[in-house]
Amino acid sequence: MWSSGGVSDEDRLSRAQAKTIVGRVFKMAAPFRKTMWMAFACVCVTTVCALAGPVLVKHGIDAGIRANDVGELNLSVAIYLLVAFLAYVFGRMQFLYLNRTGESFLRVLRLAVFRQMQRQSMAFYDRNKAGVLVARMTADIESMAELVQWGLLQFIAAGMLLVFAFFVLLTLSWQLTIVALLVMPLLIAASIKFQHDSNKAYLMVRERVGANLSALQEGITTVRVIQAYAQEKETIEKFTKSNRELFQSHERSVRISTWYFALIEFGGVFASALMIGIGGWLVHRGDVTLGTVVAFTLLLSSLFDPVQQLSQLYNTVQSAGAALNKLFQILDAKPEVDEHPAAVMLPEAGELRVDGVTFNYAAAVNPALNNVSITVVVGEKLALVGPTGAGKSTLAKLMARLYDPQSGVVSYGGVNLTMATMDSLRKRIVVVPQEGFLFNGTIRDNLRIARSDATDEQIDAAVAAIGATEHFATLPDGLDTEVRERGSRLSAGERQLVALARAALVDPRVLVLDEATSNLDPGTEAEVEQALERLMSGRTVIVVAHRLSTVQRADHIAVIDAAGIAEYGTHEQLVALNGRYGALAAAWQKSQIVN
Amino acid sequence: MSTIETDSEVATRLEFEQEQRSEGWKLLRAMLKVQRRNLLIGGLIGILWASFKVMVPQMTKYAINDGIEKDGPLLRWAVIIGLLGVLTGVLSGMRRYVAFRESRWAETLFRERLFRHVIGLHVGYHDTAQTGQLMSRASSDLMQIQGFIVMIPITLSNVLQIFAVTAILFITDPVLAVVALIPLPFVNLSARRFSHRIHPASIAVQAEQAQLANVVEESVSGIRVIKGFGAEQVQFEKLEREADDILRESMKAARIRSSFLPAIDVLPALGLVAVLGVGGHRVLNGQLSIGDLVAFNVYLTLLIWPLRNIGMIVALGQRAAAALVRINEVLETESEITDPAKPQSLPTGGSQTLGAVKFDHVQFGYNPSFPVLSNFNLSIAAGESIAIVGATGSGKSTIARLLLRFYDTNVGHVFLDGVDVRKLRLRELRQQIGVVFEETVLFNDSVANNIGFARPGASQQDLERAAKLAGAHDFILQLPNGYQTIIGERGFSLSGGQRQRIAIARAIIADPRVLVLDDATSAVDPSKESEIRDAMRTVMSGRTTIVIAHRPGTIALADRVVFLDGGTIAAIGKHEELVSSNERYREVLASMEHNAEEES
Ligand SMILES: Nc1ncnc2c1ncn2[C@@H]1O[C@H](COP(=O)(O)OP(=O)(O)O)[C@@H](O)[C@H]1O
Ligand SMILES: Nc1ncnc2c1ncn2[C@@H]1O[C@H](COP(=O)(O)OP(=O)(O)O)[C@@H](O)[C@H]1O
Ligand SMILES: [Mg+2]
Ligand SMILES: [Mg+2]
Repeated sequence: MWSSGGVSDEDRLSRAQAKTIVGRVFKMAAPFRKTMWMAFACVCVTTVCALAGPVLVKHGIDAGIRANDVGELNLSVAIYLLVAFLAYVFGRMQFLYLNRTGESFLRVLRLAVFRQMQRQSMAFYDRNKAGVLVARMTADIESMAELVQWGLLQFIAAGMLLVFAFFVLLTLSWQLTIVALLVMPLLIAASIKFQHDSNKAYLMVRERVGANLSALQEGITTVRVIQAYAQEKETIEKFTKSNRELFQSHERSVRISTWYFALIEFGGVFASALMIGIGGWLVHRGDVTLGTVVAFTLLLSSLFDPVQQLSQLYNTVQSAGAALNKLFQILDAKPEVDEHPAAVMLPEAGELRVDGVTFNYAAAVNPALNNVSITVVVGEKLALVGPTGAGKSTLAKLMARLYDPQSGVVSYGGVNLTMATMDSLRKRIVVVPQEGFLFNGTIRDNLRIARSDATDEQIDAAVAAIGATEHFATLPDGLDTEVRERGSRLSAGERQLVALARAALVDPRVLVLDEATSNLDPGTEAEVEQALERLMSGRTVIVVAHRLSTVQRADHIAVIDAAGIAEYGTHEQLVALNGRYGALAAAWQKSQIVN
Repeated sequence: MSTIETDSEVATRLEFEQEQRSEGWKLLRAMLKVQRRNLLIGGLIGILWASFKVMVPQMTKYAINDGIEKDGPLLRWAVIIGLLGVLTGVLSGMRRYVAFRESRWAETLFRERLFRHVIGLHVGYHDTAQTGQLMSRASSDLMQIQGFIVMIPITLSNVLQIFAVTAILFITDPVLAVVALIPLPFVNLSARRFSHRIHPASIAVQAEQAQLANVVEESVSGIRVIKGFGAEQVQFEKLEREADDILRESMKAARIRSSFLPAIDVLPALGLVAVLGVGGHRVLNGQLSIGDLVAFNVYLTLLIWPLRNIGMIVALGQRAAAALVRINEVLETESEITDPAKPQSLPTGGSQTLGAVKFDHVQFGYNPSFPVLSNFNLSIAAGESIAIVGATGSGKSTIARLLLRFYDTNVGHVFLDGVDVRKLRLRELRQQIGVVFEETVLFNDSVANNIGFARPGASQQDLERAAKLAGAHDFILQLPNGYQTIIGERGFSLSGGQRQRIAIARAIIADPRVLVLDDATSAVDPSKESEIRDAMRTVMSGRTTIVIAHRPGTIALADRVVFLDGGTIAAIGKHEELVSSNERYREVLASMEHNAEEES
């Protein structure tokens, strides 16, 4: 088949970029540099072997057959056999070494990019769409696999073959070399044009394949609406249109390759014709031997094939370069929230203080928090309430250092969180996000997210601590139940229980909770509520509250609005104040009565 | 997201494929029959090409023997070879074009057939079918078939080329021919075995890549959990495992390549060695000319590619056959809900209102042994509006689905204007019923096309009228491109309430006899809902409407309330009556309201 990569103009690398990228690739490949050189050596040997064949045939004909020297002929045959054997042995080694180099490089790249992605702070994830990040780690890296498996080998081999073949031809006969090169300009011009056109055609095909797949997927996923409105015919017509467009783009790219390969085929035979015509004339003049002409006709392909291969691989290499460039951008991104070199352990217990904190999301115009101060003493339960978008969750996230404030200080036990070791921070202060997010694996695996070294007993204890032992025991494999993709095997309530058990496993001093708002059936609801209750007891808790019951249990309530902390006090105090909280509590009360 | 296969699943799948191959070959043959003509043309071109191609070395031989060795007309030979170059060039281009065009065309038509079929399959099928599976039928499986078809003309010319070359070699010098050809069958054999072995290996690599993709995906979407617990290391170790797996499987594949490809490359060289050795001696003994020796060399190189290709096409064919079996499975599935053989038509009553709905002793369960509805009887007069209230899972949405004939009842009948829905053409029935589904599904398209979905080509006025009635017009004007704004998954993202209002407009514009609103305003802000409610009154007046709702304000829009409990109608009446008389009704309403509060 022909070129499989493609690169759009904006992705195309400049010469300087290409240079840095090659440099960095070599640096990353340092651990397996030896394998790399071995691979290179093997490629050299096999290339030489490929060229030696025709030269030996020439020698056999000229020095053996035409000179009537059986010894020379036999020698040529023997050497040829040896060369074939070497070509085989080194061919195998070259595959293994090259693949090992390439695949090891991809592995290192995968690990490095992923590690760096994980180090990034939340702000990075706000900026970059999840789909794009996943694509970096999968499609972009996989796009290089092809290159690694055979492309690189071909690229190097083709380049070397071209250079070697040229020198071999030159030493055999400069006159015939000129003849051989007569067709080259045509070949090179055609290859360059083909490389350019096929790149464009490829991008077009890729775009239309994407559109076609989306149309396909949309059709399948929206089939109920399509049928409900009896729009099958219209939808099929629309799909057919996109499908035909895809066909047209395929057809176009086939046409491009059609004339190119026709030209290549013609060029090859035409060059032989020239070789026979001019070469024969030179033989008559006694300038070259017949054997040389024969060797040249055999070697012509060693000159032409590489040009063709190089031009086709060019696109693949370019797109790999573009992919690498994007990956290196991730590797270069500095995490905003990172451990300070002189970081210290957080003290066991201490009050959590927010002092004059201002925070602005990168994308936002107005700060989400403006000069906010609040203190939570040891064992206190603070509820944050207020309208959507007021900044409750933001404040909670800052208290766990998921972001760093632009100004002001968040401290625990007197230590600025920015000066704390990440490890101690995550042990003391734990955020339990709204919905229980589950990873592939068993429930146990999911709990170990919180503490990777937890023993089975510790896990059982954590589940017991939130009173969920019985519930999970009813599942087919208990805690070893596979939760399937995103925990689809479990109910929403069960997922929340897992989230709470995770927190229990860490056994932190401070819990930051964003109260779940999803609706559960009343039975599970009560269970989750109880688990939460158990988890909160004896800890400092900051909870973003959506329920009256939660707020009533809190020691203090902070009402957050756009201006910052609007009201602060106990439930009774705030009700008495009859301000914003008063109104909110009244509304809650009303819906409770309906209950 | 593609479905992930574990290693053992891959193994069983490959086994399964093996079993189904014979069936696949049969299907493949049937399919090729349809394209016979063009493929034959392609093959013919290929055969012509091969004939000329084979002549090149022959001419080279004459040129050497006659032109160079004997001072003959050198120029003439050179010109002949050059002309052959033109012919082979043009023919190889044509062969390539026909092969690719034909294979792409087959793929294109097949995909259309598949899409048409899948879109027409009953909803029950789609309940259990996985999107990813259907997608791979229409993409990767079709690719396998395309990859096979494209090889057919080339294979035909390859076969000819092999026969012709072999014949020429034997005519020139049978002894040398035997010696030179000995290594070549091994090229074919190796190519065949290679194709067989590399396929499962690359599938294994893909499976590992998919597993890694999964880890990445969950790590990115679950980043808050990971950051919250400092679980970066845990995820990193998972990823490292998968990266190691990929490396391992890739190296397995590399080992397979390394044990076949260099051999395939080198084997022909053995033939060349034999030609030089044995042939050289024969020239020295005067049994062969030098020109023949050179021609032998060239001919042998002409055999390499055809032998390789033919080796691979067997494996390609087997893969295509397996893919075809999977595709055929879908195509053979027949829709359980189809147009009746002798369709009746709906009454078109001049001045009188239409849209009477009747459920008559209906029993239905998605699994017939567990009925969701049983002995369900409900008559709705034309133009009447009723509200259906019931706990989650009580079967409210099921009622709408039965009316649309997404499913057929197990027992009993559903009538629209006195005609059993099973006696109506699906298109006619469904055009008269506008449903706003519980889960709002919008298309990746402009707002205008989304609203006008049921009536392509609706005027801007109609669109705006529907949007106004659904309370959507104002916010649509606020969108970056107004009615032309692209929405949906990949377009501008709307809030849940906004999406619902567009879905309502979509139902309104169809101007159906029966309008079903399945919790259609659940995500709409209560303040906005009252606005919509006023508009809804206009839409509902004179039109049969079924409203599934739990907010008292919305329920109040209906003339009657049907309270669904335990799979059947527990009570019917006015909202106030039910609230005061039915304790269970109060309970259900309260619990649903409570859930909804928490959602907002
Ligand atoms: N990741 C984010 N990137 C940019 N803006 C955000 C992000 N998260 C929240 N915001 C904005 O910050 C403000 C406060 O949000 P949040 O703290 O989530 O409020 P609350 O929890 O009170 O509903 C809102 O205007 C919201 O849109
Ligand atoms: N496609 C389906 N396949 C199998 N069971 C279903 C399907 N859709 C709904 N059900 C089940 O049928 C029952 C009624 O569902 P539904 O009509 O959606 O209830 P409601 O709309 O009142 O919440 C529920 O128990 C639900 O789980
Ligand atoms: Mg794995
Ligand atoms: Mg429902």
